[in-house]
Amino acid sequence: MAAVPTLFGVTLIIFFMVRVLPGDPARVLAGLEADQTEVNRIRVQLGLDKPVPIQYARFLANAVRGNLGRSAVTQAPVVSEIAGRLGPTTLLAATATVLAGTLGVASGIVVSTRQYTAADYAVTVLALAGVSIPVYWLGLMLMLVFAVFLHLLPAGGDTTPQSLILPSITLAAFSLAIIERMTRSSMLESMRQDYVRTARAKGLADPIVVYRHALRNALIPVVTVLGLQFGALIGGAILTETTFAWPGIGRLLVDAIARRDYPIIQGVVLLFAVTFVLVNLIVDLLYGYIDPRIRFG
Amino acid sequence: MMRTDLYRAAALVVACAVAFTLGIPGGGRAAAPASLHVAIGIDADTLDPEGQTTTTIANIVDYMFDSLVWPNDERSGVKPGEPQYTKLVPQLATSWTVSRDGLTYTFKLRQGVKFQDGTDFNAEAVKFNVQRWLDTSVRNPNRYYFTDIDTSRIDTPDPYTIVLHLKQPSPTLLGRIASGVGEILSPSAVRKIGNDKIPLGPLAAGTGPYMFKEWVHGDHVTLVRNPSYWGRKPYFDEVVFRVVPNAGTRETMLRAGDVQMAFEPPAPDVPALRKDANLRVVEGPSDRDVFVGLNTQYGPLKDARVRQALNYAVNKQAIIHSVLFGLATVLESPTTPFLFGYTKLQAGGWPFNPVKAKALLAEAGFPNGFTLNFRTPTGRYIQDYQFAQAVAAQLANVGVKAQIQTTDWPSYVSWMVTPLERTPLQIFVLGWATQYLDADGELYGQFYSGQAPPKGLAPTFYKDAKVDELLLAGQTTSDPKKREAIYQEAQQLIWNDAPWIFLWSQNFYMVTSSHLDGVTTTPNEKWAAIYATWK
Repeated sequence: MAAVPTLFGVTLIIFFMVRVLPGDPARVLAGLEADQTEVNRIRVQLGLDKPVPIQYARFLANAVRGNLGRSAVTQAPVVSEIAGRLGPTTLLAATATVLAGTLGVASGIVVSTRQYTAADYAVTVLALAGVSIPVYWLGLMLMLVFAVFLHLLPAGGDTTPQSLILPSITLAAFSLAIIERMTRSSMLESMRQDYVRTARAKGLADPIVVYRHALRNALIPVVTVLGLQFGALIGGAILTETTFAWPGIGRLLVDAIARRDYPIIQGVVLLFAVTFVLVNLIVDLLYGYIDPRIRFG
Repeated sequence: MMRTDLYRAAALVVACAVAFTLGIPGGGRAAAPASLHVAIGIDADTLDPEGQTTTTIANIVDYMFDSLVWPNDERSGVKPGEPQYTKLVPQLATSWTVSRDGLTYTFKLRQGVKFQDGTDFNAEAVKFNVQRWLDTSVRNPNRYYFTDIDTSRIDTPDPYTIVLHLKQPSPTLLGRIASGVGEILSPSAVRKIGNDKIPLGPLAAGTGPYMFKEWVHGDHVTLVRNPSYWGRKPYFDEVVFRVVPNAGTRETMLRAGDVQMAFEPPAPDVPALRKDANLRVVEGPSDRDVFVGLNTQYGPLKDARVRQALNYAVNKQAIIHSVLFGLATVLESPTTPFLFGYTKLQAGGWPFNPVKAKALLAEAGFPNGFTLNFRTPTGRYIQDYQFAQAVAAQLANVGVKAQIQTTDWPSYVSWMVTPLERTPLQIFVLGWATQYLDADGELYGQFYSGQAPPKGLAPTFYKDAKVDELLLAGQTTSDPKKREAIYQEAQQLIWNDAPWIFLWSQNFYMVTSSHLDGVTTTPNEKWAAIYATWK
């Protein structure tokens, strides 16, 4: 499988890339007031005094045994640091994807059968808003309305089940708009096909034409986008996670970059690569189910 | 028929959503909360007192531990509004004496104190900790605080007396012990948990008013009241420090009632927050000097007149008022009033006098000014990127064109530690504070020539033989009167030599619910809220 060399290549690139970045992790860790003796001691402790290829060899030898090293900052194992954040991010990304998927597809289908009506225009405006409004601003606005003014929902963190609502809406907004647009145009194209005309000519009821025939084919590109969106949301939720103080993987990565915590950066990027590979695999399999041409072809 | 089904289904979904939302109280206000929620901006790096490098986290750690001595504050009974941090008072040590030659420190220890794990606090425990400070297998960026202690000669003549012998006098030792880095851990807890895991959770390891409960990385640190604390009982059963990186979100959470204290809301919001009757802005001056460092070895900046001109060119009060929203106090000396050895050199700070600035520049041979690159971090100090632009504008008024550059913090630090032959620095923004309130902490690291990069972080590359002599003398002279004179002379020399554009000391500020009473700020950028109450 092409997955293994891909992952290997990813670790190689990220390993060398972080070490090229300006900034000495030992000095950043020790703070400005620490003296140089301690900074050097920390550098040795982090293994950064060794030549880079030796560092990489050590990293690889450990990685294949499931040991991704220890966080430079907390000295906790990278695997446990990541594991602790996977849950919240997956929950958030999954909820956002389900929201975006269901509402996006549903609204896309509905307006595709009502092209150029008021409903169609309304949804178009909403979709434009969804892709244009910055996540940061949308999140803060939702927080102001629902948490401060209405006192209905928590303002941030993941303390209660309701904490999931605002962040997932915020995160879903962009994907929802994209999915809706894709579904709509895909459906419109699908419904112009000859076989749809044939189905109608045969006398089949409208819902059956739309849902059984046109939708199956229209969904193919939509499923691709949805899958890629989920993969992207795992890592790309960083703005939402920061705005809502959601303890996810995106924030872990950004904090690690800000602190030059190499083992965490390497571990998280490796995780993203693995996720991306897996998601692509699942999408490919889903194709097989949706598109008979692939199954039987 | 399909359509009505669809609408019915949609209505059902919406009804469920609303019910779910309203079902359990989510974001309401609390009546008197049993647990205090504090929103901070960064996640902890370590919970080991020895490993502390940021005051926010050190502040949290202070809740769990005590030190031999501590500055006078709420823990020794100082009420809000009364002066604090003016002297050192007993905490785990009830009294102490320092020998005439400054080489022997004898501490009498408090009796009847138990660690949170039930073991006794005594001289053996203190000895264990002193050795741990100097144990190189334990991460301690501030180990130099204690390297004068001779660990082979720690005496414990009785269970409540401990004698430390120093290799050379260290007049700042008591202050350093009182900075938080010298807090005392239970030896049995350290042995049980292991030095590598203590930073992750010092369970039952302290003697302080609160105990560690949990640290969910990236999310929160929870502390619970210590039932066997030897001192005054705090009000709240539990304190939860929630990690909220976005300043706007911290403020929103406070307004929504999700937290009762929010650390450093966005500076531009502070004027409005000051006027809000439901909230209280708690602020106070700190010991953090914020300044524009001048590379004294670069071109025009080699001339002291040029450096003085730059000081005359900047109107600090105006910038504090309009760019920092009042959150700073002009520097009247290279140090701040909280430090031992502080000397007020110029009331109101270096005067604003652009005419004099231009005259000095002309006198130094630069009647048409010159160009400089001006480096600043973003988001590290209050309004740093913004005030840099204000300073650059004022420098331009006297003919000095400063081009601003910024980058992320680790990259900025790498500029700060680059040696002279490769340094890109000409003028740069920096902040410097000391954890122990002594002029040595502020001056040595920035003005002693041996601390120039790469050895240290004095990127002004300032070198003055007399100042060097004075700063070294200050570190080994025991007589406080003599030390004061030493630092007065040093500060006068430094001020006139102007290796910095002396700006201000930034205030430490936070915003709390107006129901929360008794929160103050300390001069070393911490908050004092252990004895805060809910009204």
